[in-house]
Amino acid sequence: MDSLITAAARALAAGDLLGVLNRVALRDDAHALALRGIAMAQLGDFGRAKTLLRSAAHAFGQRQAVARARCVVAEAEIALVSRDLAWPTKTLEAARATLEAHGDHVNAAHARNLEARRLLLIGRLDEAERALAPDSSMPLPPATRAARELVVAGICMRRLQAKAARVALAGAESAARQAKIPALTAEVESASLVLDTPVARLIGSGGERPLLIEEVETLLASGALVVDGCRNVVRHESLVVSLATRPVLFALARALGEAWPGDVPRTALLARAFRARQSDDSHRARLRVEIGRLRAELRALAEVRATKQGFALSPRRAGEIVVLAPPVEDQHAAVLALLADGESWSSSALAIALGASPRTVQRALEQLASAGKVQSFGRGRALRWMTPPVPGFPTVLLLPGPLPSD
Amino acid sequence: MKRSKAEILQEYGPFPHTEQVHGVTYDGRHIWFASGDRLNALDPASGETVRSIDVAAHAGTAFDGQHLFQIAEDRIQKIDPATGRVLATIPAPAGGGDSGLAWAEGTLWVGHYRGRKIHQVDPDTGRILRTIESNRVVTGVTWVDGELWHGTWEGDESDVRRLDPDTGEVLETLEMPPGIGVSGLESDGGDRFFCGGGNSGKVRAIRKPSRISA
Repeated sequence: MDSLITAAARALAAGDLLGVLNRVALRDDAHALALRGIAMAQLGDFGRAKTLLRSAAHAFGQRQAVARARCVVAEAEIALVSRDLAWPTKTLEAARATLEAHGDHVNAAHARNLEARRLLLIGRLDEAERALAPDSSMPLPPATRAARELVVAGICMRRLQAKAARVALAGAESAARQAKIPALTAEVESASLVLDTPVARLIGSGGERPLLIEEVETLLASGALVVDGCRNVVRHESLVVSLATRPVLFALARALGEAWPGDVPRTALLARAFRARQSDDSHRARLRVEIGRLRAELRALAEVRATKQGFALSPRRAGEIVVLAPPVEDQHAAVLALLADGESWSSSALAIALGASPRTVQRALEQLASAGKVQSFGRGRALRWMTPPVPGFPTVLLLPGPLPSD
Repeated sequence: MKRSKAEILQEYGPFPHTEQVHGVTYDGRHIWFASGDRLNALDPASGETVRSIDVAAHAGTAFDGQHLFQIAEDRIQKIDPATGRVLATIPAPAGGGDSGLAWAEGTLWVGHYRGRKIHQVDPDTGRILRTIESNRVVTGVTWVDGELWHGTWEGDESDVRRLDPDTGEVLETLEMPPGIGVSGLESDGGDRFFCGGGNSGKVRAIRKPSRISA
């Protein structure tokens, strides 16, 4: 490495982005391209950063495998931050293997964290956990440790393990403080806010109230029969009956759950499950069929009793029945939940994250847009969606020395 | 051309608060190595760093018997080793693309990393006196017993090689083991070369091939 590259790399490590550009702005060798790419990424120009890093990887070629692999990892991070989830994960895996083989454990761990973050974002928690960099083997620099703990916290939150999430966040916070990167500290803080924000509503006898993750965790362990409207399942302790693909059955279960210990009149059930304003004989026949199906599904958990005017639910073993509902009931709540991260998403990335068809997501976005809840910019393949800007914390790129240092 | 494997005699470091070793030089007692924002004096007998000078130190280092010369960004600083003061600066010939530095015959020799060249430079003005072409990227440069040696390092491959100073022809190479690179080079005047180890944060001593004198 030559003298200006060393100086520019030191400027980058110190967060002096303009110092980097001043030194290597006019140079087109591989090292300079990589440094400029990372600086542009940190300045938020992802498009330019991607081009620069790709040219840098190309310029390093096969002989400088480690430097090339670092460029690939940096490019993957840009893809993740710009919510390009269709990014080829095999390429990242190969880069990680190269880094490991050459003893660059820090950047290899960074690559693992990126893969875990992608899996977390698309809800594949077990895989995310497996992809995560191992905790013990090698001491990692604070920034990498903080990023890792953030992923752990994310996995715990999605699994409703509030205590474990708090432990991971505390770890992330102290690592971020050690790293002395303000943007990283801010990211940990905004993640902590989630733990103090209601994630669900509890609908029980006579009223409803918001629940924090901790309270949801307690509720699920309390021995109550929970009709869970966040996941469309009915659960009691470890026994879970999923009605996610049976919306009518779940609507009936939820109506019965909300009324417990009372019953629900047939007309009300028809209105809830079939959106029927007036009921006729065919509706009544259909209701009988659906109640029969629900009875079969819930057999192990609860009994669906016929009453004089309708139906009622009674638990087999649980002491009570409660309904858990999403904090906001919007037709397209899942799409909004993803957009709530403040990033701009392509509709195809949303489809990957939700496991839904692109057409379904497209329709949802169009409806949300006409309601003024989301907005789009760009055209064609570059079209991106986001929620109207709210004050918040920007996501930052955390590249722990992905610099070619040889 | 003679080709052989470099024999590593000793490894120093890694040193605390030192991520990278750039240039190295030798003042007869201590090895001086550049580590970004410092020049450090290393006692080759004990392996201890005995003192350091806070000065920008991004690439090659040299010693003329009295002063240290150190490349920082696109210039060469002349430093008084006793006080650590920068006495003068001259422009570096490759404008920041410089990497190795050596003192010989009253002039400075500067490696031009990507240019694959070695420039001979007037130490007072920075004027380029002549240029020798190499066929590899140049890292460290040193002169010993009238022989011009320089380091190369690309990816996993690194060696120390002797050039014919008139033609630039490669006369001899000492290949470093895979994954071990040479970022700076200096002879101790005897049978050792000191090599900066780049991002390994180490300084290594390798054996200089002995000559049967005529």
